[in-house]
Amino acid sequence: MNKLTLVVARSLVVAALFAVPLFADDDEALKKDLTAVIALQGLPCGQVVDVTELAKDDYAATCKDGNKYRVYMNAEGRVVVEKRK
Amino acid sequence: MKAWSIAVLYSAVLLMLPLAGCASHKAEPPVAQPQAVATQPETPEPVTTPQEPAVSKPTDASPAPSEAAPAGKPATAPAPSGATQATKPATTPAPNGATPAPKAATKTAPPVARTPTPPVRPPTPAAPAVASTAAAPLDLTALKEKLKATKAIGVFTKISLKNQVDDLMKQFSDYYQGKAKTTTMPELRRSYDLLLMKVLSLLQDSDQKLASEVVSSREAIWALLSDPKKFATLQG
Repeated sequence: MNKLTLVVARSLVVAALFAVPLFADDDEALKKDLTAVIALQGLPCGQVVDVTELAKDDYAATCKDGNKYRVYMNAEGRVVVEKRK
Repeated sequence: MKAWSIAVLYSAVLLMLPLAGCASHKAEPPVAQPQAVATQPETPEPVTTPQEPAVSKPTDASPAPSEAAPAGKPATAPAPSGATQATKPATTPAPNGATPAPKAATKTAPPVARTPTPPVRPPTPAAPAVASTAAAPLDLTALKEKLKATKAIGVFTKISLKNQVDDLMKQFSDYYQGKAKTTTMPELRRSYDLLLMKVLSLLQDSDQKLASEVVSSREAIWALLSDPKKFATLQG
């Protein structure tokens, strides 16, 4: 039982070491992408600090300056940025 | 004892999680890239060398004084050989070509007459225009593929940029078709420059090589856009 606990704990450590950086990278890339999209539309943001996926290709982004936007792709394939309250 | 060891293990796991999170942030190794940037500025140098043929070509200039009046059109004349670069040289060598021309004019004008000087001027910009077409041929499809493939720009950003490129193309199309009466060519140039700056700002940190390629293609792409005939081929 003691051995089993040790094995589980070790595997958890290893999993944490590998999984967390991967998720963090993906998240950072998405934030950077959405920051660029919002900036391209000429909207104030600064930097996206939080992202929530609402649906496929549909995100709610919170900016460093407090602005909130919905960034999504419409039926025509255009990226639309809408300000949220 | 068991409970103590488990507690130690859990605390170790909990400590490792934030540490692992901190380890994720590293994004800056374009070390070899500066060499590519260094090579790009060298590309304008070949443009300066073709000016030598410009001196040797004044013989072609004498038969063409009739075409000297439309000074903007010498760029379109050599289009068959290198349509993409036609207007680019017309703008860049202008300062170089302009300074020697007045000197020649001031030297020759007093002894001869005022009439021979005007026909001498127009051919000099036209000659380097032909010569520099071979310097940097524009490969639009390759550039497009590189932009699609680069990891410096996110997927959403690429789509957004594509949308803006399409919008600009429509503006050009409307302008040439006479639909947009308020739009002027300088305005279109400003929009084009702005869009290019957006692309460059996205590329310059993570993909410097592609950024410098875009910069070097800037005038060539504008040459395509600003000529209605070439623009028509772009859309076709």
